[in-house]
Amino acid sequence: MVLSPFVALFWSISSGSLDLSFQEVFSLLLQGPGEAVEQVILWQIRLPRALLAGLVGAALSLSGTTFQAVLRNPLADPYLLGVSGGAALGAVIALTFGFQSSLILPLAAFVGAIAALSLVYMVAQAHTCSSHTLILAGVMVGSLAAALLLFLLWRAPSDATRQAIFWLAGNLSLADPDWLTWGWLWVTGGFLLLWLQAPNLDLLTQGEETAETLGLDVGRTRLVLFALAGALTACAVALAGLVGFVGLVIPHICRLLWGPGHRLLLPLSALLGGSFLMISDAIARSIYAPAEIPVGVVTAIMGAPFFLYLLRRKGGGL
Amino acid sequence: MIQVSNLGFAFAEHTIFEQLNFNVNKGEILSIIGPNGCGKSTLLRLLRGNLRASSGNITWDAVPVRDIPTKTLARKVAIVPQSTHIDFPYKVHEVVAMGRYPHRKSLLSFADKIDRQAIRHALAICDILNLAERPVTELSGGELQRVLVARALAQSTEVLFLDEATSHLDIDHRLELCELLIRLNREQGTTVVQISHDLDLAAAVSQRILLLTEHGKIAGIGTPVEVMTATNLHRVFRVDVKVEKNPFTGAPQILPMVNASIHQLAKLKIHLICGGGSGKSLLRRLHLAKAQITVGPLNRGDSDEALATALSIETVREQPYSPYSKESLKSAGCLIDRAEILIVTTLWWGTGNLACLQLAHKALDQQKTVYLVGSQQEHDYTGGKAWDWICRLKQQGARIVDNEELLLEELSNRRI
Repeated sequence: MVLSPFVALFWSISSGSLDLSFQEVFSLLLQGPGEAVEQVILWQIRLPRALLAGLVGAALSLSGTTFQAVLRNPLADPYLLGVSGGAALGAVIALTFGFQSSLILPLAAFVGAIAALSLVYMVAQAHTCSSHTLILAGVMVGSLAAALLLFLLWRAPSDATRQAIFWLAGNLSLADPDWLTWGWLWVTGGFLLLWLQAPNLDLLTQGEETAETLGLDVGRTRLVLFALAGALTACAVALAGLVGFVGLVIPHICRLLWGPGHRLLLPLSALLGGSFLMISDAIARSIYAPAEIPVGVVTAIMGAPFFLYLLRRKGGGL
Repeated sequence: MIQVSNLGFAFAEHTIFEQLNFNVNKGEILSIIGPNGCGKSTLLRLLRGNLRASSGNITWDAVPVRDIPTKTLARKVAIVPQSTHIDFPYKVHEVVAMGRYPHRKSLLSFADKIDRQAIRHALAICDILNLAERPVTELSGGELQRVLVARALAQSTEVLFLDEATSHLDIDHRLELCELLIRLNREQGTTVVQISHDLDLAAAVSQRILLLTEHGKIAGIGTPVEVMTATNLHRVFRVDVKVEKNPFTGAPQILPMVNASIHQLAKLKIHLICGGGSGKSLLRRLHLAKAQITVGPLNRGDSDEALATALSIETVREQPYSPYSKESLKSAGCLIDRAEILIVTTLWWGTGNLACLQLAHKALDQQKTVYLVGSQQEHDYTGGKAWDWICRLKQQGARIVDNEELLLEELSNRRI
């Protein structure tokens, strides 16, 4: 499992409109960056893209795992608590106001996501409320953001609209490699902090009251976990738009395969999520090369049957 | 150990407790018993600090419970909840290991030797070693309950709260758990507070019993012998029981008087004067026995009135909280004229309902059979007037019946 990201990375960077054999990839990697066409493609286009896919997949899986545990809801995904709506709204506001710069877009999406999450948190007074209230508040804020979004898109010039819709569908063709470093630092930090919280996550799956009687400060822990999961999602959304399915299903697959204990579940779902998205992206790029199909199509077509197979084999019991 | 003073609590508008006072002593087994919905579980959650009291104080060794950090409290008290559904397929030993959480030094620390030993020990004691690797989602209710007991034991606390922990258990595991509680109590001085529906077991294991009424008031607190009397149990549960001494343990033992015969009172015309819930179960049982019942007068909003309405029983209704007016007494009189039998179950007499006894007097004059159920002198709040009436009714031939069971018996004999 630990090796899977490397295999996936290798696969990902070797496939595309210009097919490279594994040996070629290997020698190109050893040569380092350079001027040759293959080197440019590999080092400046494919590698950053694969790394971005891995980063987004890992971030979404981590945050999906966290939300499912804290909300004790198998349908929870990283976008449940209004994060997607907020991020999209932020990005589209930036686009419609004519900021085309590659620097502004991720930043606007990030701010939007965090704003939506904080709003949900404050509205629901999440220190004390039940997870149902929290989910409802999230869905409401999400709907509100979606309505505002539609309104903005309706008013916006068609050029910006197209760009926005393309972005919303999930888009791994990264504009600026600088963001990648920051993104990886962010996600690695988020993962470590989250991993520290693993026993607390285990406790929260037992229900708020039980967790409290076992000595967990439920309100504070929930705040910390939401902040971490929200930050991870916001980062993923900012860099790649709304990539669906990964954050919902990868945690389930990991739980079915390796059990619900979060000490193991968190790293494993990060690894699997990252690998899964890298491979999905490789497939999305190569089927109709040089055109690409949206990565969300591939994730769902690949993931859903596999998940259903696991579900049947294990006889339910999420 | 735990002091409860002037405790008040309400869910939104619904008051559960008012002015509750009692103590939990260090090293005792205290059982809380009472009817469904009287707030037993709520009381336990208040004691643990999961719920905040609306008024009054709960202190643990003189420290208010809300000032104790939840982790500190988790090292003091473990809880076996009523029944939980665990959604995630954790293995049994993982759930039991969660009991060690409050003893963790930091979030990074893994289970040490003491932890592992405590977990193994708890698994062994609860007879679930063989289940250790099974996911909790696949267990039966009784097995899951033992897992939860094991988790509480792994917590190694000096106080144990159990919320009907034996309800899903087989007789062997139930007795074993009781023995375990007694052993923990005697040998390690563990204080146990448990909610129980099994009155016999509660009487057998507890040093003290806290009996709560339907309305969250304390009906009695003390040793099982003091509290578990037929009178108390009748007052709280409205059932007729016989309390005997268990020949082996000496603890009070409750023998419920279940009557196997089902009364048939078809077409018997009965008028019932009741109120304040005194007629509730009688109304239900008469209705099921297919008697032709009329009721009244009753204030609107009275629980007996609500029941009569729900059962579509002809009822004379009066404004809420007001004394019965001439008109309603008159219409009640008409209903009594049509009936063969008048039953009075009213427990509390005040100036507002005193006139009902005059109705009974009139009924006797008309040669109708009148039954008075469970009347007691101390429930007279009219300065003796009501009791005088009751005595006079007795002389005139009204029949005094101790409880509903005997009344129904008599009524059905009358049919034959």
